[in-house]
Amino acid sequence: MTSRTVLLVDDSRVARMMTRSVVERSCPGWTILEAATGEEALDLAAASAPDFVLMDVNMPGMGGLETARLFRQRFPAAALSLLTANIQDFVRDEAAHLGIGYISKPLRDDLLVGFLTGGAGSS
Amino acid sequence: MTGIIGALERDAVEEILNIAIGQAAASLSRMVGDRVALSVPFVEFLSPAVAAERLDGTTGGADSVAVRQHFSSSFSGDILLIFPERRSLDLVRSMLGDSVPMDSLTELEQEALLEVGNVILNACLGSLANQLGLVIQSSLPIYLRGRGARILDTKHPDTELVMFLQVDFSLAAKGVQGYLAFVMDIVSARHFAAAVSAYVSRVIGG
Repeated sequence: MTSRTVLLVDDSRVARMMTRSVVERSCPGWTILEAATGEEALDLAAASAPDFVLMDVNMPGMGGLETARLFRQRFPAAALSLLTANIQDFVRDEAAHLGIGYISKPLRDDLLVGFLTGGAGSS
Repeated sequence: MTGIIGALERDAVEEILNIAIGQAAASLSRMVGDRVALSVPFVEFLSPAVAAERLDGTTGGADSVAVRQHFSSSFSGDILLIFPERRSLDLVRSMLGDSVPMDSLTELEQEALLEVGNVILNACLGSLANQLGLVIQSSLPIYLRGRGARILDTKHPDTELVMFLQVDFSLAAKGVQGYLAFVMDIVSARHFAAAVSAYVSRVIGG
């Protein structure tokens, strides 16, 4: 697998740690970046052009859905999926509308690996 | 306090919440890799003081830790995930497994419990919203530690009644017990019961 860059966006350090451990196990050698807010994620993406972005929804500041919209405009080449505890239909619908993936928490390793290896990801 | 909502509404509310809590339990089970046993949910209308006493009774008067989220839709209130303080570290250990060194566990306890709460409370609220066909907005979760009155933090403890729903759950193999509670004031509880009744009528009516 070619080395890629994954950006994890979640205000919870523990959530980022758990996602990071799956990425490290499944995709050894990949670069993993972390952001605690949407604003920080956009700044990081401008500097590092991540290949994949995993985005929490309920975060302080602009929130994951608004950040995802801006990612779609500014970084259309990045594969983006929500990774969220918010299982409400409107969140899934919004992900579909934006053309991005949707993965619910708690994270299932196989869904994350599916997303990182080419699938859009939906659970 | 049986007159606040009717018997059929109460039954419908308990059934809808039962499904939502089942979704939350499934999430908890996946996070900690253990079976989760649930008690049957039972809705009561209590004064905040009695609700706090009820919580303290489950911990033998010791402090609890809790994750609380405020939610709002056509009704609003708080949803809480509560654990006896002495077992919260066990839960964190179950969740993070061997990936985190023991000496980091205590430092991470609060953040880990917030993430557990985030997943479980949103699973419950999300299921509720999807069943009722509503959008429910929720605040970011907050972490609390203390006795029942501090955790419930009602605005008018001497005059309000709250709809209190407590579900006991236990992680069979790990011996961890906890409680999920909904707190709504009476106006919200009536709106909630009406939304549930409307949903049940739609389903039964085809």
